Amino acid sequence: MRTTVNPGVDCPHAWELMPWVLQDSAAREQAAWLENHLAGCASCRAEFAQQSRLRLALSLPSERPLDAEVGLQRLLARLDASDPQQAPRQPRSRVWLVRALAAAVVAQAVGLGVLGVKLDAVENPAYRTLSETPSPMPPGAIRVVPDTGMTLADWNALLHTLRLQVVHGPNSVGAYTVVPTDTAATTGQILPKLRAARGIRLAEPISATP
Amino acid sequence: MNEADTDAEVIDRLLLQRMATGDRAALATLYRSYHGRLCRFLSRLTRRSDVIEEVVNDCFWIAWQKAGEFRGDSRVSTWIMGIAYRCGLKALRQHGDEPVEYEMSTDERLVSSDPDEDRELRDWLGKGLEHLSADQRVVIELVYGVGHSLDDVAAIMQCPLGTVKARLFYARVKLRNVLPALAGNPVACKEGTS
Repeated sequence: MRTTVNPGVDCPHAWELMPWVLQDSAAREQAAWLENHLAGCASCRAEFAQQSRLRLALSLPSERPLDAEVGLQRLLARLDASDPQQAPRQPRSRVWLVRALAAAVVAQAVGLGVLGVKLDAVENPAYRTLSETPSPMPPGAIRVVPDTGMTLADWNALLHTLRLQVVHGPNSVGAYTVVPTDTAATTGQILPKLRAARGIRLAEPISATP
Repeated sequence: MNEADTDAEVIDRLLLQRMATGDRAALATLYRSYHGRLCRFLSRLTRRSDVIEEVVNDCFWIAWQKAGEFRGDSRVSTWIMGIAYRCGLKALRQHGDEPVEYEMSTDERLVSSDPDEDRELRDWLGKGLEHLSADQRVVIELVYGVGHSLDDVAAIMQCPLGTVKARLFYARVKLRNVLPALAGNPVACKEGTS
């Protein structure tokens, strides 16, 4: 049964529905309503016919179709050229995971450094009683003050090269106490090397300190 | 989305999953499946074949790289068309010009080998689309040519739904005013409805 058609009144709604009815995505009731409206409205019928023709024209393949196989071969060649792994880039989340792990390692290193300084402060209080005997220094101990610009890597490399071990420090002025791990090495042999090393501001034998 | 669309979507998602693992056969299948519609879609932005081919490959290059990041928030077709649209705009900027004028060259008309009916339809469409802006042509293509919803088009063009509605509305009004005359019919008098 057809409902009453109100040309002019219902036309805006019919106009809105046309693309979706043509797409076959409108609800069945909407399509039926439009069909009913078109039956009684010449203007919308003409418009719908034109829309149908428009859709037909737009669905025609390209005038000068490109060869998909040629394009695909170019794409694959491009992948070969820039992606020797022949695999898509790993999802960004995995990249971020690696970065996060690296950041965690750095944070851990910084934390250990801070913790070390605090522990050192606890073990060596800022004051001591006159009756308290100072902790004895191991033989061959040398006080070393590295330059503030010296990297940790350079410092470690120097200690490794000269076979030294840090037994104390850094204190409030950034001085470390080092001792030779090689018992055969004498302070006299090590001192010139330390003083000649790049990044060392001061190197003095502790026993010689007045 | 009808049943055929649902099936196509399931297949597309499987292909994307395989692409994410580096499966080139899946890439080739998806490429062949989308090549025709992408070329037609991009031809609404530019008529230069070399640019269209470049953009299609840029689009699939990105799809290959980002297949693992597809979360299924939209249909695969919406996702791919969106990439193609953005690649198309970028290519046009790189080529240093506005979207290429949408008009058929004399040569193109002469060398056309289509059946008469198709050629007549193409001419009619081509002349009608000349009256639209590039964005309006894209919306018309996506709605009438590809069959996307307004929401899909908004996602593809990354603009508000209202903007898409406005583009579609004004494009339809313009076409209604010029297409009948191009087809040899009197120009429609009605100036659009709201």
